[in-house]
Parts: sequence; structure tokens; C-alpha cells
Amino acid sequence: MIEYLIDGPLWYFSLAVFCIGVLLQLARILFGAGKTDLSVARGSASGGAWRNVFSRFIPHHEIAPKIRLQVVAGYMFHLGLFAVLFFAAPHVIFLEEHLLGFGWTSMPHWAFIVASQFAFFGLLILWLRRMLNSVSRLISTLDDHVAAILTFVVMLTGCLALLKGFTELRLLHRFTVELFLIYFPFSCLMHTFTFIPSRAFTGAWFGRRGIDA
Amino acid sequence: MSERLEKGLQVLRAEMDKKVMSYFSSCVRCGICAESCLFYTETNDPRYTPIYKTEPMRKLWKNEYSFWGKLKSALGISKPMTEADLADWEELVYDGCSMCGRCSMVCPVGVDITMVIFKVKHALAVAGFSPEGLVGATQRAVDIGSPMGITMKAVLATIKHTEANTGLKVPLDVEGADYLALLSSNEIALYPEYLESLVKIFDHAGVSWTLSSDAYEATNSGLQIGNKAIAGQLVQRVVDGAEKLKVKNVISPECGHAYTALRWEGPNFIGKAYPFRVVHILELLDELQAQGKLKTTGMETDRLTFHDPCSIVRRGGILAQPRNLLTPIAENFVEMTDHGSMNWCCGGGGGVSSNERAEGLKHTVFNRKKSQIEEIKVDAVVTACSNCRMVMEEGVEYNEMDMPMLGLTEMIAEHLAEKTH
Amino acid sequence: MVEIFKKSTPGSAILVIAFLLLLVFLLIPQSASAAAPQQQVDFPKGVSAVNPGSDLWREVRQRDLPMQGISQVRGVESGVLINVQGDRWARFRINNPVKYAPMALLAVILILVLFYALRGKVGIEGGLSGRMVKRFTDYERVVHWVLAIVFLFLALTGLVLLLGRTLLIPLFGHHLFSLLASASKEGHNLFGPIFLVSLVMMVISFARRNIYEKGDLTWLLKGGGFIGKGHVSGGFFNMGEKSWYWLVILAGFAISISGLILVSPNFGQGRVIMEISHIVHVIGAILLIAISIGHMYMGSIGTEGSSEAMKSGYVDINWVEAHHDRWAKQIKENSEIVSAEEFARLQGRAPDSADTAAEQSQ
Repeated sequence: MIEYLIDGPLWYFSLAVFCIGVLLQLARILFGAGKTDLSVARGSASGGAWRNVFSRFIPHHEIAPKIRLQVVAGYMFHLGLFAVLFFAAPHVIFLEEHLLGFGWTSMPHWAFIVASQFAFFGLLILWLRRMLNSVSRLISTLDDHVAAILTFVVMLTGCLALLKGFTELRLLHRFTVELFLIYFPFSCLMHTFTFIPSRAFTGAWFGRRGIDA
Repeated sequence: MSERLEKGLQVLRAEMDKKVMSYFSSCVRCGICAESCLFYTETNDPRYTPIYKTEPMRKLWKNEYSFWGKLKSALGISKPMTEADLADWEELVYDGCSMCGRCSMVCPVGVDITMVIFKVKHALAVAGFSPEGLVGATQRAVDIGSPMGITMKAVLATIKHTEANTGLKVPLDVEGADYLALLSSNEIALYPEYLESLVKIFDHAGVSWTLSSDAYEATNSGLQIGNKAIAGQLVQRVVDGAEKLKVKNVISPECGHAYTALRWEGPNFIGKAYPFRVVHILELLDELQAQGKLKTTGMETDRLTFHDPCSIVRRGGILAQPRNLLTPIAENFVEMTDHGSMNWCCGGGGGVSSNERAEGLKHTVFNRKKSQIEEIKVDAVVTACSNCRMVMEEGVEYNEMDMPMLGLTEMIAEHLAEKTH
Repeated sequence: MVEIFKKSTPGSAILVIAFLLLLVFLLIPQSASAAAPQQQVDFPKGVSAVNPGSDLWREVRQRDLPMQGISQVRGVESGVLINVQGDRWARFRINNPVKYAPMALLAVILILVLFYALRGKVGIEGGLSGRMVKRFTDYERVVHWVLAIVFLFLALTGLVLLLGRTLLIPLFGHHLFSLLASASKEGHNLFGPIFLVSLVMMVISFARRNIYEKGDLTWLLKGGGFIGKGHVSGGFFNMGEKSWYWLVILAGFAISISGLILVSPNFGQGRVIMEISHIVHVIGAILLIAISIGHMYMGSIGTEGSSEAMKSGYVDINWVEAHHDRWAKQIKENSEIVSAEEFARLQGRAPDSADTAAEQSQ
């Protein structure tokens, strides 16, 4: 019964909530209220927008030494998770069979394990730092902690189900994924998509002034 | 709900645009903005974290625009905002933020935190949660025409001294001139040499210019306090004066926020584009130098550096011009380690220098500028903002340092060569 | 302050003893089989012929010495038909770590319960003052907690794997245990290398301050001030803390290296190396788990003022005076003490009356 629910209705429900939720949130941002800037631009707004979307991946050197832990752990986590999500063999097969109808070459198993180790390590360090640093402790909200823990649980249940021989473990992983998809559009996890318009808006603002932000 | 709170919340709702929605969706509370903020790094007080200063607006967004907030309201379990949510943020936003914009440069997800803080300032100003010093300054600006209470009489006196010192005429209310020059109260009160420098340089370069008795003040207290209606009112005075004299260009003086108010935010405050061009004095001088109309001679031999005023360089875009103008007349010019668009604020911008309550904090955060200066062992600091200059002079005195603060326009005027026309 | 059992069992000594034990085990069959050729087999009277099969199987069973044959299949141990060592190892495992681990851990818990009941929380003379000193940076605390959390996860999953047959199958039944064991194995194997990386970070961050120095022996001889009253002098880290640190590092590396050998059996190591690695791994692990329980006790409810060190990174100056007086002297010389109000401000909150009241009472 549970297997039927998790592989069936709940999967479709969570997918629908995720897709519709993300699209609605993005629509609010892209088509929301906004006034045209009546000042005369010095430089290109669109040029600034595009440039900023990519330039913010590398921190300014003036501040880089002070934020090394966040940047290193942050990249370890994000790149590790990205690799695992889209290039781990079980996921490539799943996406091909259940969603896209086509697949691609997956990572060798050892690379899958190493990538997930990076992801776990990075997330653990980031979440601990969030708890231990006085700035992030002050500004963090419940949403931040739930998102971190939920992401960790999804990754952990995936790791626990690696042997693939046990249906219950696979179902546990899939269930936590479904919870994650439902939570996603209503949380800070939306930064996955909204960092692009945010960087673009700010890049455009600076770009009009002729400053490389 | 109190009237003040309601007024403040109305402003926050009006300010909630797609940018703010995007920004609040993107922020993951990483805390990187704190490491870029002068007020955090010099005090280690987490409450000065830039994104924390936007809490009043984030709470409104959470309560009224987010899924969980709307769900909680529907279920009747939401926690409504209180007056304390605005009142408790007055010190953080007005004393603990100079609107320097450094945080907006470093946020990894691209939040323009400075812009959101300004929206919060707007709400606090309308709700009446602003420091006394700024309220007074704004009142004087509206009533008298200058936040420091400088009337046209004082301006005329300054004009007289200038004419006596330079032997040149200061044009006033000349219709059809190419450039309308504005002044800041600070310059009139503390650095009248600025006007003398203008006179000499324009005479040297053959620039057609004028002052206006209707629009002499560039400083915008409305911007400093965050009241957009008053800011617009003050900008309109300049626009009216410029239109009356039918000038083609308006020169924003060596004053940081005046440039922001006039050049970038002004048209949006008054709701329409200008019929004239706005140019910062350094922009104009750079243009004149490039056209060969401004020629300098001789070099400063002292070891000099340039302090980048935040509103002019980082938030204004005047990055290359100061260097283009300074390097030909300074043989021993050296940059601060963090310079250009990532230089550190003097600590007095955004109205902090007009806020007596913030004086102690201002002195503490000046330690950053102090260590920047001491690191490169210069003989003097050049800058192009009268507020920065005043704040840094006060900081230097407080720390018993011997460090002259020089104005760039003045320095250029001292090095003028033969007339070019 | 240090756990009573910790200071009587220096980590390195235990490992040496473990290795010696292992060596003894391996040498016994040698000495036994050395005597074998001298033994005469008693055959029933009337027949005096040797069964050729028994010679073959004696060699196969490796009764005289370890024997490797040659096979067509090329591999690490393809010449070994029956691994005698393996049987010995399996029996050792069931009779020793599996049997004694739960006892050891329960004993530790019991000792601590008893200690808390009799001695209570180790307090500070004069109580907490509210005036604080920075002891650990953000990074140092992150390193500690990453190591701690990964260790706890590995301990839990490791114990599931160790105690399955004897304890957990009777408790959960076969099906549930198989899920638990599979999950534990995968989790344990994946997080193991993360433990190693965290351990290296721990070495880099803390090694310098844990080097034994003058005064540490005195601390040990005085029992760490643990038993009875009396002030014991300590530096930034006292001798007990240093010993715990080095135990973690040494046992931790032993566990990590043996773990790496165990998790990647495709580098030419044979069963014998795997078996030895397993013994090192399990003994090191049980040792660390047992003593870490004491460490967790001391760092939380066991000592007044200690837990703050790994939370905010700050500790009360009275706590420093009580446990690390040589460091306290350094602090006072460099004026590094912050007031209760300043501490509250640095934590991002307005000082509440409790902080200022505590300070005023000093």
C-alpha cells in the first residue's frame, strides 16, 4: 500500500507541486511590479545583468580571505550535489525511465561515492557554521534549518539505499525526495532558481552606472 | 494597530516590487554581507549585518507575500508586526548604515541589500522613526533651502569672498549658460575653496556656467532621511531652477549623496526625465581634460592616495575619472589596498554625519579608514566629497593623527596651466 | 578536568597491547605446528601405511605452516583453498569484540552514573562571573563538531554491524535487521573517509596546543584535581585533554587507515590483511566510543562552564582560573577578557539582567 502511494500518487503530487510552485514563484518575480528607471544610463543594463549572473560565482578578492570556509564548503556541497543528482547512475536511470525518456552517460561508481562525500561534508560544515557563527545564528530562520536538514536527510536516505536490494530503503529515499519537492517552492530553496534574476537585477542596476558589480 | 505602524507598513507594501520579491526569495542567510560591512567588521556586533537591517521588510514579505505567511493568516495563527519591529530598527538603519553599498557588491545571490535598506528607511521616515539630527536637517532643507540653514545671503557672501580672492567674476542667474553649478552646504560652510576652484578652472577652460539663486543647494536631506516625497521636492527645486535658466547641464558638486539624489534617483523621485544632463564635477573635469580644454602643470610630490566616496564611485559609477585627473598631477600616487569600487566607507555617509546620536559609532568605524591609510604610509589623502572630507578630518583629529584631507577639484585648480582659450 | 578512566589508559599503550595480543594469537599456531613433526601418529596395530590423502589435506588445512598452492586463476589468494586464519578470526571476533563491546560501553555508562551520583557536577569556586574569554574560533568549533557528528554516525552504524547477530536480530527480527544492516554498511562506508578528512583538519587546528609540556606530569600525579579537592595547574589544554586528543588522533588514524583497507578490497590485500585491519578497526573503535562517552559527559553535564567553549567559543574567566591557570595568566597580561554586556553584544543580543547581575556579584 505504502509502496503504491510513494511510487504513484504521492510522486505525481509532489512533482506537480514542485513544477507549478516554482513556475508561479518565478512568474511573481519576472512579471511583478517594477518601475522603469527614468535616469539616463551610462552603461549597458543588460550587459551588466548578464555579466553579474556569472561574475558572482567568484567572490571579490577584497573579501575572499574572510569568507573562505563558506565559499569552499559551499562549492563542495553544491557541486557534489549537482554531480550526484544528475550524473549518478541510479538517478540517470530514474530520470530516463520516469521523467525524460532519455538519459546520458553517468559517473563511474567511485566518482559517485566521492561526489556524495563532498556533498555531505560541505553541507555538514555549512550547517554547523550556521549554528556556531554569531552572525548566521542571529539572522537564520526556521526555514534555513529545515531546508538544510531536509536536504541532508534526502542525501542520507539515498546513501542508505545504495545497495539497491531493499525496497523499504528505496521507498524511504523516494519519500523524503517527495517531501523535499513539496517543501521546495515555499522555502529558501527557491534560491536555486531565483539567484539568477536577483543577480541580473543588481547587475543591471550597476551596469547602468558603468560599474562591474 | 498604531497610526505610525500603519503608515510604515503602507510604505513597505508600496515598496514591495519584483526586485524585493526576488531578493527575499534568494537570500539564504549566509552572512557574507557582514564581512563586507564597515559597521560589522569594526564592532563585531552581528546586529549590523546588512541583511539584518532589512528585517522589517522581510517580516512584512513573510507575513503578507509568502506561502507560509498567507497560510498562517488564513488559519489565524500569524504573528502581526508591531511598532517595535520598526522602532527597534531605527538605530541599525540610521546609525549603523551609511548606505555605502559594499554589501550589494558581495552578496553571492546578488541581493542589492543597500536598495532594500533604503526602502526600510523610507518606511521608518514616514512612520516617524528617524534620528533627531536628520529630522531637523530635513526641516531646514525644506524651509530654508539648506540642511545647515545656509541662506542665499550666506551664498552671496561666499561669492563676494571668492571674487575678492580670485579676481574673477562668479556668474549668478545667467540665463542660457551651458552649465548650472550646484553647491553643497558643507562646501559653502567648510570648504569655500571649492567655489574658488570652480571659478578658476572654468575661466581657464572657457566654460560657460552660472550659479542659481533659486537652486544653489545640491545636498538632499530627503534622501538622507529616506523620505522620497521630500527628496523629490528638493530635486524639483533644482529642476525648476535649471529650467528657468534654460541650462543644458547641471553640475553635481563634490558631495556624495547629492550625486545619487540628482543624477540617479531624481528622475524617479519626480516621476519624469530631465530636460538637461546631470554631470558630476569630476566627470566634467575629465571631459575637459580629454578635450584638451583643461591643462595642468606641475606635480604634487607628497605620497598621496585617493579615498573613493561611496555614492560617487561604487554607487555612482565615477570610477576612472578621479584617477584620470589625479595621476597627471601626483607623481607619488598609491592606491589603498581595497580601492576603487571596493574601497571602504569613511563611515559618515547616508546621513550618519548629521546624526549626533551616531557619533560614537562613527568614531569606532573610522578605525577601518585609519588602518587603510596607515598601511600605505601616505602623506595626505585626496577625496572628492565634502562630507567624506569632513568626516575623515574629524576622525583624524579624534585619533590624533597628522593626515591632511585634500579636495581633488581644489588640487586641480592649484595646478592649472596657461589658459586654453 | 578529565575522565577518571582516561588518565589511567594512555591511548598508545592500549594499541600496543592490542597489537601484542594479536601477535601472540598469530604465533601460537606456529609454536604448536613446530612441535607437530615430532608428534607420532598412533595408527591401529596391524596396519602401517600412511594415508596419502591426509598429507594433502594437512597442507591444505595449513596445519604445519601457511601454504599457498598454484592455480590457473590468477588472483591475490587464488592459491589458498581453505583459509584457516579466517576461522580463527571469526571465532576471535565473536568471542571478544562482539561479546565485550556492549559490556565495556555499559560499564563506562555505569561508572559515569556512579561518579555523577557521588561527586556530582564539578563546580567552579565562586561560580560563573559572566566575564568571558575567547577560547575557540568559529573554524575550530566547526572542525570539532564535524568530527563529533561524523564519529557518532560511524559509531552507531558500526555498532549495528558489530552487534547484529547477537543483539539486534533477536530484538528486531531478520527482515528489519537486514534493512538496518544494509543501511548501516552503506552509511558507514561512505562516511568513513569523511571522518579521516575531519581528523586531518583536527590535527592541523589543535596539534600545536596539545604538545605535552612542563607541568603536565604534575597534573597527572595530582589526579587532575579530580579526586578530592585541591587546585591543579594547567595550560591552554591540561594533560587529560591532551591525552584524550592524542588518543583520538592515534586511534582515529588507526581506525581510518584500517577502514580504508577494509572498504576498498581491490588493491591486492588478501584476507589476512583484511582480518588484521578489522581487528585493529574494531578495537580502536570500541576504545574511542567508550572514552568518548566520558568526554561527552565531561563536556556537558560533568563540569560547570565547559559546554560554552564549544557553543559560543567563549568561556568564563573563573572557569579558566579553575582549570587552566597558566592560560589565565596569559589572558590577563593581554587584557583579553570581555564583560558580560560586551559578550551579549557580540552574540547579537541586548544584555539581559542575568548577565549584568552575574557580573555585579563578582
